[in-house]
Amino acid sequence: MYQKSPTQEWTSNVVRYKKFSGSWAWLLHRITGLGLTAYILVHINTLASLQEGPEAFNAKMQVFMQPHWIFAAWILFGLVLYHTLNGIRIVIIDFGKGAKYHKQLLYGAVVIGLIVFLWMGYIMFFGHAEYDFLSMIVTSYN
Amino acid sequence: MSYKYIGSRGSGSMSWFLQRISGIVLVFVMVGHFILMHYNPEMGHSFNRVFERMQNPYYQMLQIAFVVLALYHGLQGVWNIYRDFKFPSWLNMAVLAILIVVGVGFGALGIANILHF
Repeated sequence: MYQKSPTQEWTSNVVRYKKFSGSWAWLLHRITGLGLTAYILVHINTLASLQEGPEAFNAKMQVFMQPHWIFAAWILFGLVLYHTLNGIRIVIIDFGKGAKYHKQLLYGAVVIGLIVFLWMGYIMFFGHAEYDFLSMIVTSYN
Repeated sequence: MSYKYIGSRGSGSMSWFLQRISGIVLVFVMVGHFILMHYNPEMGHSFNRVFERMQNPYYQMLQIAFVVLALYHGLQGVWNIYRDFKFPSWLNMAVLAILIVVGVGFGALGIANILHF
């Protein structure tokens, strides 16, 4: 009889495994969680420049005010947002009666998440008169 | 109990519970954090504004709790994921030790950043 190698077995298990909405929510929660844990270490390390005084800190912050870093912060906000909304869903499932309507909770989280994500993007890029990122992007390509 | 069973000791119910509680607290603090830091970029990215906020000891206490809870929640989450896989016990010991050292080290750095003011 044909014997699958461990690699083939693993691959076919992954492909065959039915990923329902709950599985995707679970997987994304883990991936975003790992990303955010890595980020908080970098974040604390960056903020250590607060101890070096105003010049060092403000110089570092000016770097992160560039449009592509604002975009990165927006994506980071997306990770935080998903992890937060799905985390609330998990708490409702674990402490309430959410197991009966966990799919509806996920669809609700996705809809609310997309709205808040776009809203935050608007605030970050266009919400500040003194930081007109759109014209900064345009001038940086001219 | 032998070190070989580290990672499977106990039911994990307490870490499950603390993960939920720290998560609920973090939701509220995180919403405030994002509004404060991004609603007005000047608020989050200017040394003087940070300095002004840090003069309030209650704000400092909130920030220390934020750092500790976020690190606990994140590293406990990594350990939760790790525990779903089966690895040799020496690796369990090493990973747990690394997570604790990272947590204590970055926690100390974060608290030092706050108490510097």
